[in-house]
Amino acid sequence: MGTVLFQNVSKTFPGVRSVRALDDVSLSIGEGDFVALLGPSGCGKSTLLNLLAGFDRISDGHLLFDGRPVTRPGPDRGVVFQEAALFPWLDVWNNVIFGPKVQGVPRDVYEPRARELLHLVGLDAFAEALPVQLSGGMRQRVGIARVLAMSPRALLMDEPFGALDAQTRLSMQQLLLDVWQSLGTTVLFVTHDIDEAILLSDRICVMSARPGRIVRTLPIALPRPRSIASLTSPEFVAYKADILSEMNVVHH
Amino acid sequence: MTTSIERLVASDGPSGTATPRRRTVVVRGPLRVVGRVLLAVALPVVVVATWQLAGTGGSLFGGVLPTPDRVWKAWWTWAFGTTGLGLNPYSGTWLANLLYSAERVAKGFGCAILIGVPVGIAIGWNRAAAGALDPTVQVLRPIPITAWLPFSIAVFGIGPGGAIFLIALGAFYPIVVNTSQGARDVERILIRAALMMGAGPFTILRRVVLPAALPSIFTGLRVGLGIGWTAVIVAEMVAVKSGLGYVLWDAYYVGRMDVVIADMITIGLLGYLSDRLVLAIERWALAWRRLQSHQA
Ligand SMILES: Nc1ncnc2c1ncn2[C@@H]1O[C@H](COP(=O)(O)OP(=O)(O)OP(=O)(O)O)[C@@H](O)[C@H]1O
Ligand SMILES: [Mg+2]
Repeated sequence: MGTVLFQNVSKTFPGVRSVRALDDVSLSIGEGDFVALLGPSGCGKSTLLNLLAGFDRISDGHLLFDGRPVTRPGPDRGVVFQEAALFPWLDVWNNVIFGPKVQGVPRDVYEPRARELLHLVGLDAFAEALPVQLSGGMRQRVGIARVLAMSPRALLMDEPFGALDAQTRLSMQQLLLDVWQSLGTTVLFVTHDIDEAILLSDRICVMSARPGRIVRTLPIALPRPRSIASLTSPEFVAYKADILSEMNVVHH
Repeated sequence: MTTSIERLVASDGPSGTATPRRRTVVVRGPLRVVGRVLLAVALPVVVVATWQLAGTGGSLFGGVLPTPDRVWKAWWTWAFGTTGLGLNPYSGTWLANLLYSAERVAKGFGCAILIGVPVGIAIGWNRAAAGALDPTVQVLRPIPITAWLPFSIAVFGIGPGGAIFLIALGAFYPIVVNTSQGARDVERILIRAALMMGAGPFTILRRVVLPAALPSIFTGLRVGLGIGWTAVIVAEMVAVKSGLGYVLWDAYYVGRMDVVIADMITIGLLGYLSDRLVLAIERWALAWRRLQSHQA
């Protein structure tokens, strides 16, 4: 469970000057796969993720999650936003239990799990803190915990560490690797950071801008379990060189 | 909020030499409160003293305006005099009239909240509700509550019902307008987050839109309460036979300007206290926001 299938999907935003954000995108993600979407700003990464999340409708093609067409957002696809998007009036604990609570999950089911997740993301001591009292990295950890509290079949992450400083970002990447390695959820991870994409994913889809297309799919065969130590291995550097040339960042 | 006094303080720098430097000294606690009260009462004290000294034989402007000491005496009799005795019809009725007015404001304001907040949320949140309700609200809104007086008397007769109606109506508009604004301005990402976590429309309204709109709602409540006090006085002057507004007009009619002024001051203090009450509730309900602004 947690399979994703984009079949010739296009997305056009209507308007005075309509924008074709995605053009004929096909992508298949198997159960438990970690796929990274990599591409320059404005190439349609968020658009693709929002379609799968159910926030926006496809204009053309087919989009299936677990074999069923995506029509609306739901707790089976947990979204982690760039700016965490926590409810500022709820403390950490109530942000984490929001999902199961509104879905009517019995309290004695979600409470132990939420406590476990808070521990997993290292925030046991901050259960009663308000989002505003947390650092950016801590907020993002709450954002991950509240999504995991719903036991989603897929995690959709839109540049979740994009706003963090380099060091916090590394520790968050390690955390995500640990979480994913123990839970094995399907992950679609949007980023424009090449290192991040290689470190985390089984497969990188490189996108091009205007119109948004997947121009290359690159499997990453680095051994698992990975850690941020993998960042300096020769294989890692080789992948990075490959992608850099692909993205035309390097000119000779 | 901190009161700070800049003062020259010798600071011991790392070199060990004591160099004079500006440092902020924060004054807290009872001293600060006393200071604030003194500052606040300075102006009224000056005005009242001038007014008292300008008067001759207990009044100003050829007997039109009583001096503060006479107002004070009138208030004292109004508040603590024996009821139903002598020629003074107001004697000892202050508290009763005050409570009549306050009760009407509470009832009318309560109705305005119960109707205004849901209607405001609906207008701000749902396009169909906005299309159906907003034009009507916007056209009725410019009609001042004073213009509703004849209508109110015709429908409710002489009595408290009309006053409550006018208060509710007057307070309704600012509550609706501010609530709908707040509901409209809810960040889209928060709605998406709630949808993603499986929240239905009603849950989103109650657990996301309402708390997100609460700061605006309280703005509307405070404006609405002020209008509520205006409405109760207007209604009581014309269409009710009790309350501070009734006493105000009646006292004027029989030439008791001392009672009129005591009544005005009573209304002012009551309006102030009720606003502080709403403010206290707001502080409590929006504690999360106060933390936020402290950080910023
Ligand atoms: N709601 C919208 N209405 C109109 N155009 C939109 C909308 N959302 C996105 N677009 C357009 O679609 C294109 C792709 O946007 P998208 O947000 O998916 O890019 P992105 O790859 O996520 O970029 P970034 O890395 O900067 O987040 C852009 O040209 C953008 O202007
Ligand atoms: Mg984006």
